[in-house]
Amino acid sequence: MWRKLLSPFARLFEFQAKTHYRAERHSMALTIGIIAAASVGGIVEIAPLFTIDDTVEAAPDMRVYTPLEQAGRDIYIREGCYACHSQMIRSLQDEVDRYGPYSLAVESQYDHPMLWGSKRTGPDLARVGEKYSDDWQVRHLVDPRDLVPESVMPQYAFLLETQLETASLPDRLAALRTVGVPYTDEQIENAASDALGQSRPETDRADGVAERYGDATNIRTFDGRTDLLTEMDALVAYLQILGGLTDVAAETQPARGE
Amino acid sequence: MSVKERDPLTGHLTTGHEWNGITELNTRVPRAVWFFIIVTHIWAVVYWVLMPAWPVVTTYTKGLLGYDQQDKVEQRVMAANAARAVWTDQIATLPAEEIRADPALMAHVTRTAPTLFGDNCAGCHGQKADGGPGFPSLVDEAWLWGGDADTIMETLRVGINSPHPDSRFAQMLAFGESGILSRDQIRVVVDYVQSLSGLETEASQERLDEGAVIFEENCASCHGEDAKGLQDLGAPNLTDASWIYGSDDQTMFTTINAGRQGWMPAWEDRLTVADRMMLTLYIQDMAHEAKDAD
Amino acid sequence: MTQLKSGERQLAMILSGLVLLAGFLLAAAGHGDPMGVHGWIVVLFAAVILVVAMRALDDPEPTEDRTMSYYDDPTKVGIVIALLWAVVGMGMGVWVAAQLAWPDLRFDAAWSSFGRIRPVHTSGVIFGFGGNALIATSFHVMQRTSRARLAGQVSPWFVLLGFNLFCIVAASGYIMGVTQSKEYAEPEWYADIWLVIVWVVYFILYMRTLARRNEPHIYVANWYYMSFILVVAILHIVNNLAVPASWGGAKSYSLFSGVQDAMTQWWYGHNAVAFFLTTGFLGMLYYFLPKRAERPIYSYRLSILSFWGIVFFYIWVGSHHLHYTALPQWVQTLGMTFSVMLLIPSWASAGNALMTLNGAWGKVRDDATLRFMMVAAVFYGLSTFEGSFMAVRAVNSLSHYTDWTVGHVHAGAMGWVALITFGSIYALTPVLWRKKTMYSWKLVEWHFWLALSGTVIYVFAMWNSGITQGLMWRTYTESGTLAYSFTDTLVAMHPYYIARAAGGALFLAGAVLALYNVVMTIRRVPDHAPHLDYPTNSEAAEPAVPAGE
Ligand code: HEC
Ligand code: HEC
Ligand code: HEC
Ligand code: HEM
Ligand code: HEM
Ligand SMILES: [Ca+2]
Ligand SMILES: [Ca+2]
Ligand SMILES: [Cu+2]
Repeated sequence: MWRKLLSPFARLFEFQAKTHYRAERHSMALTIGIIAAASVGGIVEIAPLFTIDDTVEAAPDMRVYTPLEQAGRDIYIREGCYACHSQMIRSLQDEVDRYGPYSLAVESQYDHPMLWGSKRTGPDLARVGEKYSDDWQVRHLVDPRDLVPESVMPQYAFLLETQLETASLPDRLAALRTVGVPYTDEQIENAASDALGQSRPETDRADGVAERYGDATNIRTFDGRTDLLTEMDALVAYLQILGGLTDVAAETQPARGE
Repeated sequence: MSVKERDPLTGHLTTGHEWNGITELNTRVPRAVWFFIIVTHIWAVVYWVLMPAWPVVTTYTKGLLGYDQQDKVEQRVMAANAARAVWTDQIATLPAEEIRADPALMAHVTRTAPTLFGDNCAGCHGQKADGGPGFPSLVDEAWLWGGDADTIMETLRVGINSPHPDSRFAQMLAFGESGILSRDQIRVVVDYVQSLSGLETEASQERLDEGAVIFEENCASCHGEDAKGLQDLGAPNLTDASWIYGSDDQTMFTTINAGRQGWMPAWEDRLTVADRMMLTLYIQDMAHEAKDAD
Repeated sequence: MTQLKSGERQLAMILSGLVLLAGFLLAAAGHGDPMGVHGWIVVLFAAVILVVAMRALDDPEPTEDRTMSYYDDPTKVGIVIALLWAVVGMGMGVWVAAQLAWPDLRFDAAWSSFGRIRPVHTSGVIFGFGGNALIATSFHVMQRTSRARLAGQVSPWFVLLGFNLFCIVAASGYIMGVTQSKEYAEPEWYADIWLVIVWVVYFILYMRTLARRNEPHIYVANWYYMSFILVVAILHIVNNLAVPASWGGAKSYSLFSGVQDAMTQWWYGHNAVAFFLTTGFLGMLYYFLPKRAERPIYSYRLSILSFWGIVFFYIWVGSHHLHYTALPQWVQTLGMTFSVMLLIPSWASAGNALMTLNGAWGKVRDDATLRFMMVAAVFYGLSTFEGSFMAVRAVNSLSHYTDWTVGHVHAGAMGWVALITFGSIYALTPVLWRKKTMYSWKLVEWHFWLALSGTVIYVFAMWNSGITQGLMWRTYTESGTLAYSFTDTLVAMHPYYIARAAGGALFLAGAVLALYNVVMTIRRVPDHAPHLDYPTNSEAAEPAVPAGE
């Protein structure tokens, strides 16, 4: 019976083999064949992600990263934190139980590139914002094993000594606007000043940050140093906003224990 | 070269080509390969029919089962909540003593709390809850705010100096930096405070008396006349052996010179009432055990 | 150089001069930024080549008729560079592994942290070792199977050296913190653009050489090499679309964000595996295995089926890296189902290779070189089976984010990619340098056992740690609450991380032996002219393909 069932396929393949035998004499035929065969999958899977509406949820309260947070994100990328930490809580019960509401697409809408990660040597960080104090984050980054003896995370003490470079922030926000992040002219112009302001709550600059990014923005001396705006300030500001750009996930999902 | 040859070993013909000595047999595709191709394709088609699968411009095929991973996990979470509610409801509503009196409830606490503590608290207070510089020990019975269950529950809910709107607030003033005390005065009061808890100090009695005066004027309002702390303000007892930041000269100088304002996160949005009650019972138990061990 | 005519030498000079200029431009524009350092690295690289070209400018013209011989110099250089990268890349791998076992085993400096050196390892082995081996062997294979000399004298050098410039810029960049964070596509925009140029030249060279061939048919190995070149180009260009923050700095932001970026990245990421680590190396397998075994390929028809199956199905499966994430589930379904369908063509090619060894099993026993290739085919089959298994959503919910993935990667990367490469290099070295044999067959044998035991230790350690970790994360107590904290799992990983570092060290030792052995072969082994290793015209008449039997 199998033989019968298979025979049309066998005949088809016989035909294909013969055609192939002729085609494989032409390098252009192979080239076109390869390009054609290798294009279908990508087009079918990627293009609709731009056209299907409910791919990315609506989140009216979503805000953009402040310049200081974006600078911190750039440092997170520079140091390769994504090699050990994911930022994607999967829709699995144990992950919701451990890390909180599962991640929504909209939460990384302004992430160029996304940092979902592919390995959890350390815990997921999608909702780590405000889980610890600024001081804890600083000390943990300076020496993780000081606070967590079992940790295998590297030390990043130099961040606390390195001045944050802010002059390029307007360019960086402008580039982000080019790729779709809705920064206003005002936000771009004031990027360098806002970066400093966000970590100097006592100054006038801080008011500008609250004005441009919302009153809920964290405005604190993140690294505890008032003499220098450091890379540590930026990285901790970024860590403390993770999961905090929008509340839509917590608002739309049933939480553990409800 | 293009001579068709028969391979003596397998008895199959070659395709007649040779590339630098390499030839190919024209063997048929084995039946097993076709078989598995068909099986996997049938499986895939069935899967596509049942599950969300193919995009169609602005929508996609939803599948006959109507399965959606997000709905699914929400159902799971709610089902788990319901299953646990049998005991979590009790833990969330009963007073601590009643829970403690119920071995069945306490079994849940013993199973659950260590993981909760490990994932959320151990980073600061340590796996054994014995604290570290800047983070108070929770097992030394020297409570900043109080060790009864209600107080701990409230501390966990709102945190201390956290961004939570109801957060507890506690601040050790920066006496040196704000110019209230001179460097010398701070050194004197350091000696005095060290003497309170019986720490060795080389200071003369005269100096200690001087320190007592400074203390009386500046510190007693928070730490109390007897320096035993005021739990309403979260001001620690300075006469016992437990220290958050440390009792050596330098640390204590820094404490008084630059002030302190420890930040304990608020857990209201992250942990449920039952979670927080289990943690409360767990740290109370650890504190008892630590005391018994002494 | 001796094989280049003076016009070609001038061209080489002009090209390296242009690169030198581009380096200065980069250095000037990127002053004060890591990009500036890259500029100087480019300047240095181009200057060395320029000097070499200049010194040879007045050498006598080549006298022989060049079309009468194959052009093997670029292949030779490529093989040696590949082995150097192997030692560097795997050395980095051992260091990276050691850091996870003993986190303080590093310098107290930013550049040596795990996150910065890990991509030096991955790019070092994939692009440095794998890429150079692919380029070098592809030059060899396309000449031999076309019976024609390379269609250019300068362009092979441009491809090989240009590609290595890319690798050097990539690796030095990570150490300085220059990265786009997209796995396997980390280099920044200017390196990406340079790679596109190199790759286009590579493809043109390939096509032009094929056009000169003296065989009517294009051999299967070349189909695979072509798919490698073509598809990698497409993937590379799309996934690296980005807008630089300024022309004076390295930093850029990817064009896509969030969910679209994730899908594009893993469409790329998976197919970097497919078209770099699989089809390229299948090209290698398809030439060196039958050659060494002196057996015909088991089935031409199976080759057709598996080649097109692989090219078509692989592209669909990237979404299996994103199961249960915020990527819409319909895409996950496609990734999962296509991954399972992909298994059959994958196994068909592994089976085709193993069946080719029928009648040569005695050789496999005696000849470590052929044994490398045989074991590689086995690991290829094993890792593709594992991959399709892990692509099933239920399995992936356990394996994802854990060391199981890392175990799978290295079953493929060490067991398949590295072993087939070492086998091919041992087969190729005596032919290229016109030597009787390798310097020491004993060392090849040693290398084989070191590599095999290293791989097995590594992979078993990671299976254990991955599955342990995955299970611990999701274990619930009787009360329906999580049983283990994250730190508990860290403690459980420690012994496996030590075992992995040990396995890696064995593997690295093997690679060092390979480098030594090849160098000694070049320097010490007496010469030997091989039989019939030059381009010849084909007197081919065209036979019709007979029905399958
Ligand atoms: C070698 C792997 C590794 C790298 C690289 C790494 N981490 Fe970690 N990280 C860990 C591990 C393991 C833990 C868990 C133990 C601990 O808390 O230290 C952790 C924990 C953390 C936590 C606490 C998470 C929680 O919920 O408890 C934060 C925040 C964090 N890392 C941030 C970072 C940042 C920022 C970087 C980069 C600058 C980074 N990590 C790089 C391994 C790593
Ligand atoms: C970011 C670090 C951090 C984390 C995480 C943390 N704590 Fe604390 N906790 C502190 C600090 C700091 C204090 C003391 C505040 C002060 O100095 O005034 C404190 C104080 C407390 C107190 C009050 C002690 C007293 O003497 O009154 C309790 C109880 C407590 N923590 C329990 C917990 C529990 C339970 C968890 C986990 C759910 C937790 N903490 C997580 C930092 C932390
Ligand atoms: C406004 C109230 C207030 C006043 C006034 C005050 N303290 Fe404090 N003190 C605190 C609080 C609250 C803490 C705990 C801070 C923390 O945990 O972050 C503290 C902590 C300390 C500590 C650290 C204890 C440890 O465990 O490490 C010392 C020492 C101390 N105070 C001494 C003094 C002295 C000496 C004075 C007077 C010069 C003084 N305090 C005045 C509120 C006060
Ligand atoms: C000496 C042998 C090797 C050792 C010790 C080694 C070690 C490592 C380590 C420790 C990691 C990081 C894993 C993690 O983040 O947890 C890694 C990742 C990786 N290695 Fe290796 N490796 C070796 C050989 C190779 C070879 C030969 C290749 C490829 C040809 C390779 C390709 C990769 C890839 C692709 C990754 C990234 C995996 C992922 O992101 O999932 N490795 N290796
Ligand atoms: C049929 C063939 C294969 C399939 C279906 C497949 C499938 C998979 C799956 C499901 C993952 C895990 C994704 C995740 O959970 O994050 C993965 C990861 C990986 N595989 Fe395979 N695999 C195949 C063959 C191979 C081969 C031959 C190699 C050769 C080296 C390889 C290299 C990798 C790498 C490097 C990763 C890690 C990617 C990352 O997360 O950084 N795979 N593969
Ligand atoms: Ca990875
Ligand atoms: Ca790139
Ligand atoms: Cu994949």
